[in-house]
Parts: sequence; structure tokens; C-alpha cells
Amino acid sequence: MKGLETASLGFQYGEGGPAALDGVSVALASGAVSWLTGAPGAGTSTLLLAACGLAPQYTGGVVSGSCRLLDEDPQTAEGRARLSGRVAYVSADPASQLSGIAETVVREVAFAPANLGWPRERIDLAAGAALDRMEVSHLSSRLPASLSGGEQQRVVIASMLVLSPEVWLLDEPGSALDARGRATLAAILADEARRGALVVVASEDADWLAGFADRLIVMAGGRIVRDGVPADLLADPALAVTGAGSTAVADFARALAERDPAFESGRLPVTVADALERWQ
Amino acid sequence: MAVTALLEFDRVGFAYRGAGVSAVTDITLSVSAGEGVALLGPNGAGKTTLLRLAMALLHPTSGDVRVSGRSTRGRMPEDLAGDAGFLFQQPEHQLFASTVGEDVAFGPRRLGRANVDAAVSEALEALELGDVRSVHPYDLPAPRRRLVALAGVLALRAGLLLLDEPTSGLDRRSRRLVRQAVARHRALGGAVLAVSHDGEFVLEALDRAIILDRGSTIQDSSVPRALGVHGAPPAPAWAEIAAALGAPAESRRFEPAVEFVSMRCRERRHA
Repeated sequence: MKGLETASLGFQYGEGGPAALDGVSVALASGAVSWLTGAPGAGTSTLLLAACGLAPQYTGGVVSGSCRLLDEDPQTAEGRARLSGRVAYVSADPASQLSGIAETVVREVAFAPANLGWPRERIDLAAGAALDRMEVSHLSSRLPASLSGGEQQRVVIASMLVLSPEVWLLDEPGSALDARGRATLAAILADEARRGALVVVASEDADWLAGFADRLIVMAGGRIVRDGVPADLLADPALAVTGAGSTAVADFARALAERDPAFESGRLPVTVADALERWQ
Repeated sequence: MAVTALLEFDRVGFAYRGAGVSAVTDITLSVSAGEGVALLGPNGAGKTTLLRLAMALLHPTSGDVRVSGRSTRGRMPEDLAGDAGFLFQQPEHQLFASTVGEDVAFGPRRLGRANVDAAVSEALEALELGDVRSVHPYDLPAPRRRLVALAGVLALRAGLLLLDEPTSGLDRRSRRLVRQAVARHRALGGAVLAVSHDGEFVLEALDRAIILDRGSTIQDSSVPRALGVHGAPPAPAWAEIAAALGAPAESRRFEPAVEFVSMRCRERRHA
């Protein structure tokens, strides 16, 4: 299939520690935004890393079970070679992802396409478009290391966008972005999914993801514990027990119900509009 | 004795070498004991630069920065460690010891503080890290690693906390722990200056907001008046709900908003 398919995927960092992934079997389709969430240590970050072979390739550790990404095996060198240039991984620490070689932002964004041997004209065109889309064209001639955290995060995402990847794997990609940057990125990721890309975002920011994710997967202890449509799962009062996946509105509704049982209901409001409809 | 501001910026300007443009221009501000100040603004506004100036990681190209009344001129970050604690935007870069407990103890021990053990235990417990004291920091998931870095800053028991995005990438429970730690620090007379894009943290934990844009202060106001303004994070959903139902500005924090909405709906039911 297009997309990501795992069967009994397991992962362990180092020796003797608890399993970071413990028998994850899931199929994520291209053309949709899938959102992974869970309490710290739930395994969402590790699932992204294992899905593209960065774990254990760069993290160390031991993988078990199977994983197919775009019908390739990211756990083999041959599979990774065939996936090269088609998969965008965005870590939670943008500074660590800069090449460290490019002297300007525009060269940073051109770095991967240049290494893939694209012709110059195509690189220039694609780099310009990616910088525009992430609203960082004005930083084109700056030294990447001199940028602020939020600006670096935008540049790192632009340096992936330039490839028009078939797969996006993003770990807290909005962590340093301002409100406008988050809205821009949400629109881009929704567009990328519409274009047919597989988009997987690991994030604790339920208020942000609830606005554009098509599917919500809740993890705990390296396993998938809930899987469904975000609007349905987020409205479920039982979700809170996993310590994840709760919007500010749902939190507020739970506090109201604790104070006054008259507010209790089978479904929590998820958005401000839901809440006002009930309480106005 | 007059109250000394814990942090003062006096017409501060700064330009990164070779950048061509000033990162901050003519900034004047002060933060006093007990105050909680948010530093808001769009990406690239100069917020982190301002924090670095406050910590003597950078020195002004014009004007003066004073921490606890003393200029940072000619001083290094370690000279300020007794007065100010600094949490980086990527705080995992601050960790280096082989256990959580050792990492958190490093700062206070180096300052020759008394009761290091008690300070470390208190900081770890405040952030629910007591159970991982002997664990290697890098064996923890990223959100808890960030809390370890914050524990190290709290254990310094410095008067001024300088926090760069202290809640970013954290889960809901961890964010609440950070808010509570900030509240406790302020209740004990400490001051906090925090860069944040998290409207919930800003509204619940801080009172005053300074909005920066292109290196200049464009607004210095109460937090509720700043949220949603140019480059500042939006107010959290409950503040929006409470406002739509007619709550006054002082009832937009979480607890007062719960109180307001529940009272208001009860009145409606009885009407």
C-alpha cells in the first residue's frame, strides 16, 4: 500500500530498558493527516523514527516486527536508499537539523535537492517557493545559525517542503512557532495531505491538531490504546485517563462538571463553538 | 530601603556581528520582585536575544543591563548564576550529568549553596521527577528531560527566572507543573521573565506582557490586554468562552472562568 504499515513493531533503546514500542500494528494511509499523541514516553516520537529507519540507524537500539513505508522496508539500507528524497522527517529540535554547512538560508533549503542532483533552475525555483510558503523569504541571505528558534523551525520545514515529499513525519513541529506560523503550517500540512502525501504529526498540542488532523491515534506504554476520528475521541470523557489528547475546551468542561454535576454529559464539547452552543 | 528591580534594561540596543540589522533597539524595562512578565511577539522579534542579554550571554552594544542592581558589563553568565536562572529554548542542551539528581545539584553545589540536597529534592518533587533521580537524563522522554532542566534552574533558588518557551512541546500535565512552579517562585518573592507562545501559560502564570516586534517594544500591558494582539499568542479557549458569556476581564483565568460559567448557567436554569 501507499503509506505506512507496521505489524507487531517493537523497539527498545539501549539495553534492559522498557520497550519504547510494544507490538504496534497500524496502517496509516497517504492523503490524510494522522495525529499521534500520548503522555511522555508513550512512544509517539519513537514510532516516527522507526517508520523511516532513523531508529535504530541513528539512535541505536533494537527493532522487531515489520514496517513498510511506501512499500519499502526502511529498516534495510536498500529500502532507505529507495526512500531517499521522498520522506521528510522534522525533529522537535530544529537547530539540530540544520546542515551546519550552508552559509545562507536559501542554500540550506537547496541542500537536499542539490545532493539529490537536481538541476540548478529547478532547485532555485523550488527553494524560492518553499521559503515563500513558510514566510521566510526575507531571511534568504541570513546565516541559518543566527536565526531565532522559531525562524529555524520554519527554515527546517521549508528545507523539507522543497522536496515535495511523499511522506511527512513531524515531531512537535509547531513548538517554537508563533500563532501565525502555526496557522500557516497547519494549512500546508492539510494541503500536502490533499496532494496525496502521508502526513503523520506527533504532538501534545490538541488545540492545534484538532483543527486539521483526520485521524487521532493515542498511545500509552509503546502501544496504541485509541484510534479514531479526532472530533469523536476528543469528546470522549474517558480519553483524559490516558493523560493526553484533551483540548482546552474539553479540560474546561471537565472542571465545570466536577464543580456542578448538572454540566455532566456523555460527550465533552471540543471547540469554543461547541461549548457556547451548550452554555449560552 | 528602596525596592531594587531584579532586572533592568536601560536603553539597550544590540546587533549580532555581521547581521546588518539590530536584533533589539532602545529597550527600557524593569522587572521587580514577585512580578511575572511575558515576553511576546512574532518569530524573530528579538525575544530570545533579550533573554540572552539579561543573562550576560550577550552584552549590549548600547545602553546597560542590570541584574539585581549590578551591570552585566564585563561579566559572564556564571557570574550571574546566584542572581538569575536561565532555561534555554532547547533545554536538553543544558543537561550533561549522568543522573538527573547530579544534573540538578550541579548549579547549587557550584554556587556553594547550603542544603543542596533539600533544594534538589524540592525541585524534583515540584516537577514530579522524584522517581527518576538516579536515571540518566537522556533515558527520559523529551518532555521530562525539559522538566529536568527546569528543576536545575529552580534548585539554584535565584531571585530571577529567565525562561525561553518553558512549556513548548510539553503535555498538559507537565505544563500544569511548570505553571505551579512559576507561581510558587513568585509567591516566594522571585521574579519571572518568560518568552512564550503558549497563551494558557501566559494567562495563568504571568500578569504583565511586553510585546516586541523587530527589536522594539510595541506594548507593555496586562496579560489579558496583550493576548491575541500582533504576534502574541491567542487567549486560551476558556477565556474566549467566558468573554462570550459576558465575564469581566479578571474572570478569564481558568478557575475564575469555571466559577463564572457555572454561576451563570445556574442562574439561567433558575430563571
